[in-house]
This record gives sequence, structure tokens and C-alpha cells, in this order.
Amino acid sequence: MAILDLNREQFDALTGADQPVLVEFWAPWCTYCRRLGPAYERLAQQRGEELAVARLNIDEQPQIAEHEQIEVVPTLVLYQGGKALGSLVAPESKAMIDTFLQETLPE
Amino acid sequence: MEHIYDMIIIGGGPGGYTAALYAARAGLDAVVLERLAAGGQMALSHQIDNYPGTEQGVDGFSLAVKMQKQAEAFGAKTELAEVSRADLVANPKVLESSEGTFYAKTVVLATGANPRQLGVAGEQELTGKGVHYCADCDGMFYRGKTVAVVGGGNTAAQDAALLSRIAKQVILIHRRDTLRATKIYHEPLMRAENVSFCWNSVVEQLVQEEGRLTGVVLRDVHTGQSQTVACDGVFVSVGRIPASQLAQGQLELDEGGYIVADETTQTSLPGVYAVGDVRTKALRQVVTAVADGAAAVHTAEGYLVQGGR
Repeated sequence: MAILDLNREQFDALTGADQPVLVEFWAPWCTYCRRLGPAYERLAQQRGEELAVARLNIDEQPQIAEHEQIEVVPTLVLYQGGKALGSLVAPESKAMIDTFLQETLPE
Repeated sequence: MEHIYDMIIIGGGPGGYTAALYAARAGLDAVVLERLAAGGQMALSHQIDNYPGTEQGVDGFSLAVKMQKQAEAFGAKTELAEVSRADLVANPKVLESSEGTFYAKTVVLATGANPRQLGVAGEQELTGKGVHYCADCDGMFYRGKTVAVVGGGNTAAQDAALLSRIAKQVILIHRRDTLRATKIYHEPLMRAENVSFCWNSVVEQLVQEEGRLTGVVLRDVHTGQSQTVACDGVFVSVGRIPASQLAQGQLELDEGGYIVADETTQTSLPGVYAVGDVRTKALRQVVTAVADGAAAVHTAEGYLVQGGR
């Protein structure tokens, strides 16, 4: 599964769905966000069946970022059924994202 | 039967991917285990102007991706794996990671060193936006501006001296009342008209406006009094922490935790090499890291030719 770049409507639809979705809040000027790219793509390939993997550009969607209280980029938030299940700020490794998902995804 | 690589390289910075390039070109079966993305510390530099052959300079992340692609074009592989434990004495050597267990005849440790942080709120989000860890790398962005340097060792003194030639004003912040730096570094600082000192002071808080640093709040370690100092950037120079945890108890380390190895990159264990910032060396730069990567493969080839003894 490819990574989805979300607009307002897609964000509302995906985060409200029954299938979990992982959203990376990012910005084009954020150096660290670029470093997350390869691991995030790998994650989408490996876990595409279990969850949707998406990104949201906070410069394009500042209202969503504000509403979701995103203060640092990159922040990853796992949503399901309209609720945020948990978040992870600036992970240092792909393993950290895997561990976060393992601990946060419902059984 | 498990696959046994000729060479596993831990860390995908410039030293790691140069080792991968040379290994692949030497016909070795090599893989880089990188926990996040190519580049290591270099990937956080917006502009690298001291890497030869890039006359316009290059941003660290792009250079890292090029190095990775070049190594992979010759057959090197990458796994996004975080190594949690290494048995470097065993034959083959065993690396346990988030993506499973790997085996290799030789191991190159290219795990780097991380700048020690101030440990104050907002530091990570302001990194590159007013908070910096390398004056050589990022000093040029502060031409004509006011910067603070935190630290009192040789690196801090050198950083302050360098920045005094670029910035309008340099404020050196140190928790003691004298510099720890070698005397030879003192004089240029004392002589510079645009360098001032905040002695007995530690950074208590970073002041920001719209996501950019605008100053620091200092606390006097004796009186406990706080003062706010306005500046455009702060260069943190309070030492580095080598990422040598995997080697602890197996390889000889120096008192700073760096893996002891000369320019052959040979460590205290046969078949194990240390390249880049994690190795004991005088100058930690991209150019010296890539040189190490090439040397490691040269040294390892000699070891492999002799049957790994």
C-alpha cells in the first residue's frame, strides 16, 4: 500500500473509519521529517493490510494540525473510529514505530 | 542454514555507506543495518560546504541518499533494523535486531556519535531553527547576527572563535568561571571585540517565537538568579556521546567511550572495524568518515583472505 497524502475530507473519512490509520503530521521545511521517509514507506508496505498509512502537511492543513494539538513535527498519531489511540513524536528508528503500533493497535 | 554475510555494517552514515560501496565493489556480500534513514548526523545538516566536489555545497540528507544509492547500485543491501545486541567474539558474529538475527564474518561499526544535548524543553523541535550542534556546519547562517555558544571545552572555544569571525556578537555561556579549553584557544577569544562571556551560567530555558529561537534564559549557578539573553542562534558544544553501547565489554574503548582503532579502523577484536565518529580520531567530519569506510574494507579483505583469522 502506498502512503496517502491527506486533504481535509480524506482526513475526516479515514480517521473516522473502523480500520486504524496512522497519520504522520509533517512539514516541507522539517529536516527530521525527511529522515522518516524510507522507514515510513517500508511500514506502509509491511503493514498495509492491517492499517492505512497516511501523511498530512501541516502547512497546507493548519486547522487540522491545531485541532489535533500538533506542536512538533513529525508527530505520528494512530486513529480509529474518530478517536486518537496514541501518538509518537519524532521516532528515532523504524523499530520505535513498530513498537508503538504493537502497543497501541487494538487486539 | 542461516545466511552468513561477508560484512555487516551497523549504521548508514557516510562511513557506513562508503564501507558498503567499497565492500560491494570488492565482491563482498554486504548489508547495512540502519535504524531510520541514511546519513546519520550528516542528514540533519542543511548545508555541507566542506565536502569536496560539491561546489554549491550540498544538503546532508541528499548527500546521504546519493551515498546509499551508489552503494546499492553495486549490490550492497540495506535493512531498516535497529541492532539491540551484538556478539562480536563469536564466529560468525551474531547481531540481534528488530528485523531478526543477522550473521557475518566481519562487522563494521559505523554507529556515530551524538552531540550531548542541553536537556531543556523545546530543544529537539528548535534543532536547526536556532539550536545547532555544529558551528563548522551551520555557523555561516549567522553572518551579522547574535549567537550564543554553550560550553567551556576546546570545541566550544573553537566554535566561539569561528563564530566571532562570522557573527556580529558571540556570547559564550559556561557553567564555571574559567574555560576548560586548552590555553592556546583562550587568547583569540579574549582578544575578539565581539565576544562576551556569561560565567557560572547554565541554560535554563529556550525562548522561542513562532517556532524560532529568539533567546535563552540563563541561571547563575551560585546566586540562582535568572536573566534572559536575546540571540538568533545557540550553538550547543557540551561534548559528544559516542554510540558505542554494542561494543561495551567486547572492544577496547577510550575514557570517552570511543572505540579504540587507528586509521586501519582495526579494533581490539579481529574482524571488527570502527569507522567514522565512533572511532578514536582527531577530526570528526564527513571526509574523514568516508576515508575510514574505505580503509575498513581494505583491512577486512586482508582478514577474509586469511580465512578470517
